[in-house]
Amino acid sequence: MLADVLTLALVALGCWFFLSGTLGLLRFPDVYTRLHALTKADNLGLGLVAFGLLWQAPDWPTAVKLLLVWLLGVLASTTAAHMVGRAALGAGQSAWRAEP
Amino acid sequence: MTMFLAAVAVFLLLNIALGLVRIVRGPTMADRMLAAQLFSSTGIAIMLVLSVVLAEPAVLDVALIFAVLAVLATLAFTRRLWKSTGGR
Amino acid sequence: MMGVFDVLLLVVLIAVAVGALHGRRLFSSVVLFIVFGLLMALVWLRLHAPDVALAEAVVGAGISGVLLLDALGRLGKGEDEGGDERAD
Repeated sequence: MLADVLTLALVALGCWFFLSGTLGLLRFPDVYTRLHALTKADNLGLGLVAFGLLWQAPDWPTAVKLLLVWLLGVLASTTAAHMVGRAALGAGQSAWRAEP
Repeated sequence: MTMFLAAVAVFLLLNIALGLVRIVRGPTMADRMLAAQLFSSTGIAIMLVLSVVLAEPAVLDVALIFAVLAVLATLAFTRRLWKSTGGR
Repeated sequence: MMGVFDVLLLVVLIAVAVGALHGRRLFSSVVLFIVFGLLMALVWLRLHAPDVALAEAVVGAGISGVLLLDALGRLGKGEDEGGDERAD
């Protein structure tokens, strides 16, 4: 019972972060801000979904796999964020500034 | 619980459909690649949810493979494509 | 609820396929093809074929995405979109 409530709450929270990541990708004005929205909000959402589903895991190898998926996701998106950010800076893309 | 998780899968798929707008609109190549990155992490979450809904543990292995390979496309993009074209 | 998921998945899949085939920019088509591989893996999962989904994940997200991006870089097909374009 408690496990179900935990799953419900954590997965719903994860969905909220996924939605904010998508809205950030759509609404933010340049590459750097979009990187910021995507790589952080999205992986927090993935972590919350994985952590919520952890309570439904029937045995411990499944639970370890869930955590491993999240760890790999975080590792992948950190690498990707750094590479895209550095490449955008090297290509001379200017950062967005608020209109005066 | 299955009903709730199926609704979560539908919601995450809607997120992917919404993100397609960014691929169509661009404007730079990096924006399109970032949208693909978003899709892969959302897709991994969908697979995690599906592994519980379908009660098939093998689905987790697919999610694991995707988590390993998701970064490869972005690496190839920044190392090979973007460098050779000078970011334009 | 899974019926809704299936219908939405197929609609998005076909939209992505049409976009990849008829897009004007080569780079958009490549990114849409990578997304197509991800969605196709989800379709295989829904058909209770995780083994095929594994192969699709490796080929679609891993190998063919990297190969296509690399080929695009070697072709020198930089997009004509500027690196300093202001997004809307």
